[in-house]
Amino acid sequence: MFRFKYLRRDFNTWSIYTLAIVAFIMIPILTIFFKLFSGPGESWSHMIKYLLLDYSLNSLYLILGCTILTLVFGVSSAWIVSRYKLPFQRALEWLLILPLAIPSYITAYAYAGFFDYGGSLEFLLRNIGLTSSKFSVTNIYGLIFVLSISLFPYVYVVSRAVFLYQSGRLIEASKTLGASEFQTFFKVVLPMARPAIVGGLVLVLMEVLNDYGAAKYYGVNTFTTGIFRSWFALEEISTAVYLSAILLVLVFAIIGIERFLRGNRSYEISGKSDFKLPKLALSPGWRVLVFIVVSIPIFCGFVLPLGQLLYWTVLTFSKVASLSFVTIAFQSLGIAFLTSLLTVTFALLVVHFPLWNRIKLLSKSSHLAILGYAIPGAVIAIGVMIPTLHLDKWFIKVGKQLFDLDLGLMINGTLVVLIYAYIIRFIAVAFNPIEAGQLKIGKSLSESSRLLGKGTLKTFFKIDLPLLKPSLFSAFILVFVDTMKELPLTLILKPYNINTLAVKAYEYASDELVMESALPSLCIVITGVIPILFLNRLILNGTK
Amino acid sequence: MKNSYLIIALALALGACKSETKKEGTTNDASKSEIQEVNVYTHRHYEVDQMLFAKFELQTGIKVNVVNAKADELMQKMTLEGEQSPADVLITVDAGRLVRAKDKGLLQAVDSKLLTTIIPSNLRDEDNQWFALTKRARVIVYDKDKTNPEQLSTYEDLTAPKWSKKILVRSSGNIYNQSLMASIIAHKGEDAAKTWGENIVKNMARSPQGSDRDQIKAVIAGEGDLAIVNTYYIGKLLNSKDPEEVKVGLRIGVFFPNQDDRGTHINISGAGVAKYAPNKANAIKFIEYLVNEDAQKVFASSNYEYPVNPAVEVSDLLKSWGIFKEDTLPLSKLGENNKKAVLVFDEAGWK
Repeated sequence: MFRFKYLRRDFNTWSIYTLAIVAFIMIPILTIFFKLFSGPGESWSHMIKYLLLDYSLNSLYLILGCTILTLVFGVSSAWIVSRYKLPFQRALEWLLILPLAIPSYITAYAYAGFFDYGGSLEFLLRNIGLTSSKFSVTNIYGLIFVLSISLFPYVYVVSRAVFLYQSGRLIEASKTLGASEFQTFFKVVLPMARPAIVGGLVLVLMEVLNDYGAAKYYGVNTFTTGIFRSWFALEEISTAVYLSAILLVLVFAIIGIERFLRGNRSYEISGKSDFKLPKLALSPGWRVLVFIVVSIPIFCGFVLPLGQLLYWTVLTFSKVASLSFVTIAFQSLGIAFLTSLLTVTFALLVVHFPLWNRIKLLSKSSHLAILGYAIPGAVIAIGVMIPTLHLDKWFIKVGKQLFDLDLGLMINGTLVVLIYAYIIRFIAVAFNPIEAGQLKIGKSLSESSRLLGKGTLKTFFKIDLPLLKPSLFSAFILVFVDTMKELPLTLILKPYNINTLAVKAYEYASDELVMESALPSLCIVITGVIPILFLNRLILNGTK
Repeated sequence: MKNSYLIIALALALGACKSETKKEGTTNDASKSEIQEVNVYTHRHYEVDQMLFAKFELQTGIKVNVVNAKADELMQKMTLEGEQSPADVLITVDAGRLVRAKDKGLLQAVDSKLLTTIIPSNLRDEDNQWFALTKRARVIVYDKDKTNPEQLSTYEDLTAPKWSKKILVRSSGNIYNQSLMASIIAHKGEDAAKTWGENIVKNMARSPQGSDRDQIKAVIAGEGDLAIVNTYYIGKLLNSKDPEEVKVGLRIGVFFPNQDDRGTHINISGAGVAKYAPNKANAIKFIEYLVNEDAQKVFASSNYEYPVNPAVEVSDLLKSWGIFKEDTLPLSKLGENNKKAVLVFDEAGWK
């Protein structure tokens, strides 16, 4: 049992810091949560009667469809590249990650343009003497495909890691015992990889539920578009909050199912990384076939949308490229840099404060801090805005009364509030690699250092921090790419006279100037590609 | 002891990072008194606007700071910012939003002879809280090779059985559709509007999707016969960088409905001065500038919109579609009926 005297005994300064940082990150989320108790808005019954079923069904279809498609694309391609010898082996391995570099709303724009009347597909078909049949992608099936093709790398990356580094001995054993390749995959490899694959899938589904840009463009009503609609068109924050709450229940249900499926089973194989199964050679016919199979997701997820963007960029370059565009690009990079720096710092604190504090319950609570990634950006934006405005108003009052100063808004409408919201949204992205890195380092080194008389912080700076460098670096890059891509939250909290590439692309597209959105989109893609390549190399080096 | 110094250092370092970012935001406020400026919250993000803003800066020496976002988001922002809002001018692309801004107490009355004489009374707020800058008409377009415009007459006629599976129109989330519905509610009442919505849904060629441009393309692609769209987008299509889009634009005909009764539904892009505008005088100057003849000419010629200043002629392209009778319903009605329109759409099953 939890006893007060233990609490007193275990209490130290780190407990306070842990609590402070968890509160810092949780306040906006709790704000939304407490708004729930102020009752639904007057349109709630209207919502239930006419819209809720539509939102629920569409969101469920999206979840189901994207689950199936991302598994098919992600697992099959991971298995093929990790098991068989292929032409351009190494290139294929990282090309399969690249669809992640294109934000799904931009892939959606590109697909809509490609299949559009008078679009690129028709142009290509006409050139080879065919008339095209009408084929529309701007519907829920198109949306499922577009989201899946741009998000499947989450599943691919985790599956490949398991297949490459953990399955070798088991595959060998299975084959020695006479199982066929087919049996080995479905009876041995897949069940063992399941927890990891489901973990990747959960990330995919979070992104699917967070999506606003693509669903809006394709005219599919989901919970997230519903939140925007009730927030802005009906002006009922309470209705929007109720929808957010349902969405959160959905998210927690998904996480719960994942935990349940994983159970207490551990599939870790000891001595996992030292043994690598040699890759199988295939007969020429199979080689071609398998090569084509892995090329499909690369083509659909990266080459095709990129091609469409390039074509549009050529058409509109002179119109879009300007000094102000360059300014926007630099502002985007600067904001992403600052955000990544701060997010990684906070993630580092969230990982380490609980390690140094001795109250178990408090340490566990630190995991609450990574909830932000599951919460749609728009919801976080408002959650941040409400408490910071109170703070702003308080500052203004104090400034007036004590110093006779007119301070104005110091948090809202500035970068502070935007970056605060980014940190909440993306801290999980930085938390995971840092926590994994810390677990790998283990406690023994820092404990030895402490035994030898060095303090907590000295140990941290001299031992943990240098060892964590690769994890910090990948955390930084992941947050950087995510910040560059982020849209709904930025739309709401963006400060004065500052713009980001993502917002610019969205503005063009929502203003029916989708061709003009290609250049900013392309810049986001490029900034996304470079770190991903870098990261891939880092993963490869790290595991060797 | 050593520990606590380090913690303090860490905290200070963190604090330093933060205050640095803060400074960027506050320099604007500090310099307010020295530099003449006007802060514009606008839903319009057209190149022509930026051009006009630059011209205004040059002429007056007043610096224009722009925040671009959707009107709804801007209004939410202004509401939350309250008295501290730096916004001077709010510009939207729809009358309904301006009415809502007024209702929420985000705007203030402006006493400007210039504005009240130039802008017709149905195109501005009765209390002079907002003013139209440009007009767009919501029209019916058809394939000139396929459909005879003599078959067309009114918005109401689109519900006739002859148009079964022929109508193309975007989703009800779109503000132009909401305003059209709001005008029908104003003229015919809520029940009739609901019936109209239900019957349009029955006649739809496909479930609503895409933009106004997409509806026009779908007409030429043969997915349906008629599309309800804004004139503004036809101009955009005709001047597109994509040759395929220009071809589409050339093939379609424009029909102005309800010429024999109330006139074609029009919507506006308009501006109002923010309630807590820190630079009120500049804000008024700014709006006055946008309705003067020079600026209106620029709007009319490069953005395919109808000018609100009667002294300025419409562009040749717009003229080629014909002169038409406008629905003179006070545009404030669009705002008053907006929420009703959203609900009616849901009830009618218009996605």
